[in-house]
Amino acid sequence: MADGIELARAASVAALATEGVHSMGRGRYVEPATYEGSEKVSGVVVGPEDLEIHIVARYPLPRPIPEIAESIRERVAPEAGGRKTTVVVDDLEVADDESL
Amino acid sequence: MRVFNRVFMILLLAGLFVLGVYMIVYAFDLFGYKLASLPITDLGKGVENFVVGAENGSLSATTIIILILLAILGLIWFIAELKPTAPRRVRMGSGTYVTRTVVEDEVSTVAEQVPDVLGSSVDVKARRSPGAQVDLEARVRRGEDLNTIKSGLQSTVQEYLSEKGLPVSKLNVKLVEADPRQTKTRVQ
Repeated sequence: MADGIELARAASVAALATEGVHSMGRGRYVEPATYEGSEKVSGVVVGPEDLEIHIVARYPLPRPIPEIAESIRERVAPEAGGRKTTVVVDDLEVADDESL
Repeated sequence: MRVFNRVFMILLLAGLFVLGVYMIVYAFDLFGYKLASLPITDLGKGVENFVVGAENGSLSATTIIILILLAILGLIWFIAELKPTAPRRVRMGSGTYVTRTVVEDEVSTVAEQVPDVLGSSVDVKARRSPGAQVDLEARVRRGEDLNTIKSGLQSTVQEYLSEKGLPVSKLNVKLVEADPRQTKTRVQ
């Protein structure tokens, strides 16, 4: 079970490895992030009881958003240490057309 | 309400600060201002007359109206304070949220794919319960069958959103007849 910045890093890696996730979310007014020393992990907020993961979903969506969120939760669960995991879709990013 | 409260408190504290400065100036007889020159006795008498008038029930009609208006204003303010603020994000289910912009983009995209729709504007309100309230305004050509377009558009948007897992608790569709020269798309 990881804690603090390690958990944030693990959550970020897990989220980015999930199909349908384009990048980590940057929030709208305030950037969600976890800080420790000089290090910063964007898109993940680690609390004592909860874990908030902000993502930007890839568009068109390969599968419904709840499924993407569930996959992220499943990937993060071993590291989360029983924290309540919340997934927030901050934005959609249109994927580059590879045929062009 | 939070913004209103903040502005109100800033003005109140600024007023108290100014009054405090005046009090120090008058209390220490600075710059030729003296406490004795203030019309405090007149003010005291005015307050006393008001209280006596209220006790005897002999207040003027204008004063009673002002007091009633103040009481109503206070009640409205109190109720507005008790009302919980609308959430910023749309709740999808257990622990999953999407921003309103995402829902707006999705609704707008699917609405504009409908052949009769020339343009659209979307307003999404998040609710405390899962799902969003979506107000969709679609612009169509004059003379079209509005009822058919409306029901088709409503079902298309709902189907698409449920396919993508975006919950909508209420979808309001409003069709506006518009000149194609002034819309985003002239021909679909």
